[in-house]
Amino acid sequence: MLCVSVLTAGCGTKTTSTSGATAGKPVNVYLLPKQKGIAYFTSCDQGAEQAAKELSDVNLVYDGPTDGAPEEAASLIESWTLKGANVICVSPDDPNVLSPAMIKARQQGVHVLTWDADAPPASREFFVDQATSEQIGDALVDTMAKDIAGTAAPTDATGKVAIVTATLTASNQNEWIKYIEDRLKKYPKLQLVAIKPSNDNQNVAFQVTQDLMKTYPDLKGVFGISSVAFPGAAEAIKQAGKSGQVLVTGLSTPNDMKPYVMGGTVKSVILWNTQDLGYLTVYAAEAVATGKLKPGATTFHAGRLGDLKVDGDKILLGNILVFNKDNINHYNF
Amino acid sequence: MSTEQLDKPIIEQPAKPSKGSALRGILPSRQEIVLLVLLAGLLGLAYALSPNFLTPTAQIGLSTHVWELALIALPMTLIILTAGIDLSVGSTMALSAVTFGLSYQAHLPIGVCALLTLAVGGLAGALNGFFVAYVRVHPLIATLATLAAYRGIAEGLSLGRPVSGFPDSFTQLGQGTLLGFPIPGLIFLVFLVAIGLCVTRLPLGLWLSAIGYNETAARYSGIAVSKIKFWLYTSSGLMAALAALLFVARRNTAKADVGAGMELGVITAVVLGGTSIFGGRGRLFGTVLGVLLIHETREFVSWQWNRDELNLIVIGMLLILSVLADSLLSPKAR
Repeated sequence: MLCVSVLTAGCGTKTTSTSGATAGKPVNVYLLPKQKGIAYFTSCDQGAEQAAKELSDVNLVYDGPTDGAPEEAASLIESWTLKGANVICVSPDDPNVLSPAMIKARQQGVHVLTWDADAPPASREFFVDQATSEQIGDALVDTMAKDIAGTAAPTDATGKVAIVTATLTASNQNEWIKYIEDRLKKYPKLQLVAIKPSNDNQNVAFQVTQDLMKTYPDLKGVFGISSVAFPGAAEAIKQAGKSGQVLVTGLSTPNDMKPYVMGGTVKSVILWNTQDLGYLTVYAAEAVATGKLKPGATTFHAGRLGDLKVDGDKILLGNILVFNKDNINHYNF
Repeated sequence: MSTEQLDKPIIEQPAKPSKGSALRGILPSRQEIVLLVLLAGLLGLAYALSPNFLTPTAQIGLSTHVWELALIALPMTLIILTAGIDLSVGSTMALSAVTFGLSYQAHLPIGVCALLTLAVGGLAGALNGFFVAYVRVHPLIATLATLAAYRGIAEGLSLGRPVSGFPDSFTQLGQGTLLGFPIPGLIFLVFLVAIGLCVTRLPLGLWLSAIGYNETAARYSGIAVSKIKFWLYTSSGLMAALAALLFVARRNTAKADVGAGMELGVITAVVLGGTSIFGGRGRLFGTVLGVLLIHETREFVSWQWNRDELNLIVIGMLLILSVLADSLLSPKAR
């Protein structure tokens, strides 16, 4: 008796399966940001909307937790799965919380991608990667060399440079540092003298940069490679009255660094193109749902972005954007 | 409004249970009829706009989002019935969740972790009970203080770091199903029946109403008011700890922001369900309807319009609606 009811219950739970869209049917794409209502993700959404307009078969829904709570994001994934989503694109704030819901969605036949940040490979088919560590490392060094050299050729850039990082164990930052060191070989006259941790604290980044300027009075440049290290280093240079003498660059959103750029302390801010990231994610979602993009592919054509490289299960955007005095006011995020 | 409590006849209430103590009535009260009509309207609208929403698979899947709220609403109904309130339930959940996470990190057996969690939740509730029942601090103030304090302790203990990676045997508690029905839902049904029997078959229900109508009179008529209140708040803390365990199991994460804003949803559900915020009147059936209405409204709004920001607006409007209904429909308030 019990066996029978267990069996029937088992059948009952297996009924919904939303398979990939067939020709002519619209593809329901759900785009989940870490947090809805913040400028960074809103600008990603603008690109996503543009892609949805170009691809006539896409129904795009952009929603996410306004308070950034990953539990709420997991609830949304569950609702969308029940609702018949074809593709769910997740920027996971906490992969531990989100991957169970993502795996459950995949079991129900929904395609799941990650974008902006990744989750364990079992929980998604592809990761839309905004920039590889190599691209970030290269862009940081190339930008620094160009800023130091000024009107001269970048390869003639001369002087001591230092890195202010997050913590000495931060995996993203350590990857970047590896590629920064590699890229510096292209610029023989630039000498890396120190790598200092800021322990994810802007005040520490400020102090560390002050100390660096004391230890190396002829310091030419600082890489601030975390979201707090960059403004902390910039503030120290500004207060020391060394704006323009000691150059600082790093990864940040334009709004956070606008005052330093307009004030002359920071010449260049590096970030990927967020609109292109949203645009690419929607193109990838449509291609996965319609079978145009399959595991094992090595390139992928994404509308105006042209042919992009697919490295294993990572779709590479690699569209590094450099903000400076001339263009930073065009960006609002 | 404040004079309302004084006007109420106390002695007759137990004598005419069908009218006075709505806990015992079999027929739905006026507010419950309104709720049933609203619920029918909502589900009708859902059927017209998006029939998929009403399939058993969708409803059972979505129900996993509500069981913690539903569980905490049970003791909350009894507390509000005594003209009290427990604002600290969300923070107690956080403190319990963090206790669970830290004890799991300390490699204690999972059963011991769960017992510790329940103990901490019970203690947190007992502290509320002590202040309300014996120190006679107004429950609004006492639990507002612990709302802040428990959340603060949870943040301090965990340093904001989440703990995850619990074994499947534990996460099944929150994610698993039994005969196709979510396990947390079955736990809720057990508690609903048990507490329902306690308040309808034992004199407890009448005592709670009596305390809510007029506490002084209840004391003089020999009801152990302080003792009852103390245990009510303690059970509320215990239930918050149980809800925290279910939440941690469901989401595989234990951290200090678990249960943020939970008190808002729970109190809205109870008051919407017809339990008077001034005490004395209310019953569990109404609370179940209130929880159901809030849950279905929230889920349907999110399902249909994909706007997370609407969530809080919906709760706020339901809370206002419930208070309006309370003052318009209550015959005593006229």
